[in-house]
Order: sequence, then C-alpha cells, then structure tokens
Amino acid sequence: MSRDAAPARGARTHRTTAGSRWRGWLRHHRAMCLDSARRLLVHPLGSLMTMLAIAIALVLPAGLWLTLDSARLLDAELEQSATLTLYLEHGIGEDEARRLEATVAAEAGVAGTRLVTAAEGMAEFQQALGLSDALHRLDENPLPASIVVRPRDPSPEVVRAQAERLGELAGIDEVRLDLAWLERLRHLAALGQRVILALGVLFGLGVLLVVGNTIRLAVENRRQEIEVVTLIGATHAFVRRPFLYSGAWFGLGGGLLACGLLVLGRDWLSAPVTALAASYGANFRLPALGMEGSAILLACSTLLGWLGAWITVSRHLAGIRPR
Amino acid sequence: MIAFEHVGKRYGGRFEALANLDFRVRRGEMVFLTGHSGAGKSSLLRLIMRLERPTRGRVLVAGHDIDRLHPTQVPFYRRQIGVVFQDHQLLFDRSIFHNVALPLEIQGIEPREAARRVRAALDKVGLLHREKALPIELSGGEQQRVGIARAVVNKPALLLADEPTGNLDPQLSADIMTLFEDFHRIGTTVMIASHDLALITRLRHRTLRLHDGRLVADEEAA
Ligand SMILES: Nc1ncnc2c1ncn2[C@@H]1O[C@H](COP(=O)(O)OP(=O)(O)OP(=O)(O)O)[C@@H](O)[C@H]1O
Ligand SMILES: [Mg+2]
Repeated sequence: MSRDAAPARGARTHRTTAGSRWRGWLRHHRAMCLDSARRLLVHPLGSLMTMLAIAIALVLPAGLWLTLDSARLLDAELEQSATLTLYLEHGIGEDEARRLEATVAAEAGVAGTRLVTAAEGMAEFQQALGLSDALHRLDENPLPASIVVRPRDPSPEVVRAQAERLGELAGIDEVRLDLAWLERLRHLAALGQRVILALGVLFGLGVLLVVGNTIRLAVENRRQEIEVVTLIGATHAFVRRPFLYSGAWFGLGGGLLACGLLVLGRDWLSAPVTALAASYGANFRLPALGMEGSAILLACSTLLGWLGAWITVSRHLAGIRPR
Repeated sequence: MIAFEHVGKRYGGRFEALANLDFRVRRGEMVFLTGHSGAGKSSLLRLIMRLERPTRGRVLVAGHDIDRLHPTQVPFYRRQIGVVFQDHQLLFDRSIFHNVALPLEIQGIEPREAARRVRAALDKVGLLHREKALPIELSGGEQQRVGIARAVVNKPALLLADEPTGNLDPQLSADIMTLFEDFHRIGTTVMIASHDLALITRLRHRTLRLHDGRLVADEEAA
C-alpha cells in the first residue's frame, strides 16, 4: 500500500497539499535546528569539549594552508625579481657597455635591463657587505661591469634558454642565473601542498570520527525515542534530522573555535616572525584568515560535522529495530 | 481490508510462532484476537504493521501485499494504521500532549490543527486535564489510555490494539472498548488482541482464537 493507494478513509483524512507538506517539512527543520542547539546547551561542557576537539583537528591544516598560501605570494614576488646577470668582459668601457645594454634590451623576451658599471657594482658590494675598508685598499676595481636583465617570462626553462642565447653575444663574459633556489622553493611549495592536503584529509577524518562518536552516544541515548517514532511511521530522514543538525552545530562551533585559535596563534607568532623576516631583509607578515578564509573554514567544518553525523546515524539506524 | 494467505512465521529459523493462518477481515469490521499467552497474538499484529515479515504466505492490507512494500514506503504505510502497543511505547521525556501529538508531528501537520486533534483525542480517553503531565506521573492505566489517544489521533483507517485493557479496571476497560466500538461505528477497521474473555464475550464481535500459532476458531458474533 503506497501513499496513493491508502485505504479510502485514510486517503480522505490524510489528504495534504504539496504546499502544506512543504511547510510541515520546513517547520520540522526549524524545530530540529533549534532543538539540537538546545540539546547542545544542556551539556555545555561536553559540547565544548567536542567542539574543541574539532577545532584542534582543524587548526593545524588551516594554519599550514595559510602559511603556504602566503609563501606562494612570496614565491610570485620572487619570480618577479628573477633576473639574469650578464657580466661583461674586463676592459669594456662605459660607452661600449651602454651599446651592449641596448642590444640586450632589443632581444626578444627581455622585459627590462639595467646597467651596473664597475664603480656602481663596487659601491653596491661595499654597501651590502660593509667591507668598505678592506676594499678601499684595493688599487684596482676587480669587479666587471654587468647588465641585469629582467626576463619577460620568469619560468626557469625559458630563463635558462635565454641565458644561453645572451651568453653568446660578443663582449659578454659570463651569464649568472641563480635559479636553483627558486626551483627548490617551488619544489618545497609543491611538497608542502601535498603534505597539507594529506594532513587535511587525515584531520578531516579525525573530525568525522569525533563528531561520529559524539553522535553515536546521542543516538544510543535516544534509542527508545527512535524506536517509537519508527513504529508510528517516521521516515529515516525524519529520524536523522535532529542528529544532522547536532553534527552541523558541532562542526560550526568547532570551526568558530578554530578561527579563534588561528587569530590567537597569529598574534602570538607575528612579532617574532616579522622580526625574523626583517633580519633576512624580507618583508614577510604572517597571513590573516580574513573574511573569505573564515567563511571557507566554517563552511568546511559545518559540512564535516553534518557528514560525520550522517554517516554515524545511517550506520546505527540500520541496527535499530523497533520491538 | 486485511487478508492472511497461508501465513507462517518462524523466529530464528526453527520455532514456528504462527502457522498457516488464513483469514480475512472486511473493511470496517471489528475483530477480537484471543489466545493464551505466547499464542502469537502480538506476532500477528506485528505482521500487519510490517514490523515482522512472514516466512510463508502473504499478508495483504487494502489489497496490497505489504511484504512487497519498498522500505521507503513502509513509514507512509504505518501512518495509515493506529496502533496501541502492549507496552505503551510512550516517550518519557515528553508531556502527554506531545506524546499524542507525535504522529501528527511526523506527518508535518500544522501545529494549531495538531493541537486541536490532540485535545480531541485526549478528551476521548478522559485525560484532557493531564495534557501537561509526563507519562511517569501517570498510572499504568492512564499511560495505556495515552497510548490509545496517540493511536487514534490520526483518525486511522485501521486500528490495531494489543491488550489495550491489560492494566485497566473493569469499568475503564468497558469504557475503552466502547471507544473502540465508536471508531468501528464510523467505519474504522478495528482489531484487538485481548485476554479478557469476559469482556470479549459480552461485546459480541467476531473473534479469532489462536492456539500455539494456529487459528483454532473464527467465531462470528452471535
Ligand atoms: N522477536 C522474537 N524472537 C523470537 N521469538 C519470538 C519473538 N517474538 C515472539 N516470539 C515468540 O513467538 C511466540 C508468540 O509470541 P507473541 O508475542 O506473539 O505471543 P502473544 O500471544 O502476544 O503473548 P502475550 O499474550 O503474552 O502477549 C512466543 O512463543 C514468543 O516466545
Ligand atoms: Mg502479546
């Protein structure tokens, strides 16, 4: 006997329009949303513990992800500053050097050039090392003039090919390109990404387990209620609903706590990190989560909580048979 | 309304709780089900509710083989049946009012309409003044009547009752039976499992008698 094949009297008394059924459904959602929130507040400490466990599981991957994200920004900045240095042969005069610079600037794929004369090179060198005294004692400037080239496309392969081409120009002694560290950084970033992905998956599973365990206890506590409502015609969806909302609330609470922990952590670490970066001459600040990041984190945590509840309740519903 | 076709039910593979049951209950009929303890009365009712499935034969309700219902249809099927359980099956953390309202809540009935129906049902079993009480504050007989109110609140087409007068004194038992007869009179099919032979005989309805899971007598009211 399906819904439409109800016994005659039943069909009359149970007729409901689609609209009223939809309103009833919404009403139940609202009621369960509030009811599950109320149940969390009945045991504030227990709920807080669960949320804290979720928050802890979320903080590590979220924090690492933020760090990596800002490292990516740094990476992009570094790529911008990826340059080739063409050292000119000794004995090339300044006029000759300027001509060479113009030739290089006209090459395809060159975004900009800057000529560093031997004297300027010396000055920069002294400033960077603070060795003015020692170098002053040298009679002759040992540094060659150089042309700093900023390539249009900073990807390592292109830059390497360009270096080879430019090296064949007359008057160029040596081409120096320091790409190794850039590449290393890039590999490191890729590695970091994978590690964070793996951690994210693992800790996400952790959240599922935490929520699942809490919800499992809730299901056990309300076993009799589940049996009774099943006896009188509750659908699985109806039975699941309050637990799904509980799971979502746990997730949301955990997410909020995680956001809070990230803010605290940033405050805690930002002064020493900025100081450390400054000592390397870099201008690096610890990244903040921001509105978008917080929204993503909260959405993920809520979804995880909901999913954890769904898996657990579905697994347990199969085992609950009304007596 | 109900048709059992050579129905057998075994629990755990060996023990035969019901054997070769073959009978029909017409729409709007009122039927008593009797038999010694363990005869299989509850099992028979559970088959109709599709809480158990027959190991043999078919159970048809309103012409449909309920064993063939898809699991997702079962809840909607159960909503058509009002059931009074032998052990009440009330929720002890909810007021009487909310216990009776449960079937309507499950169906998403609008709260004001639900409240009206709940009060009408509670009034019928004489417990309207206790609507705010918790089940634990009620006597066994009163709890039984709450169970009855919950079973009828939905105005089901089929009403099943498992020992609905088990805990009641003779006067209340008679009142409750009168209530069932009222439902019978407005066209509800009613099936009541009961030990209370004196009451059954007095009420003169068709009676199915089970013995060790077999139908040993099917007596029309004289
Ligand atoms: N879930 C079950 N598993 C195994 N055996 C069961 C189960 N339910 C009932 N039985 C057995 O089936 C037989 C019939 O039980 P049932 O509950 O239908 O009897 P009853 O007529 O309702 O008895 P009572 O009047 O005491 O309620 C009994 O022997 C009982 O032990
Ligand atoms: Mg029984």
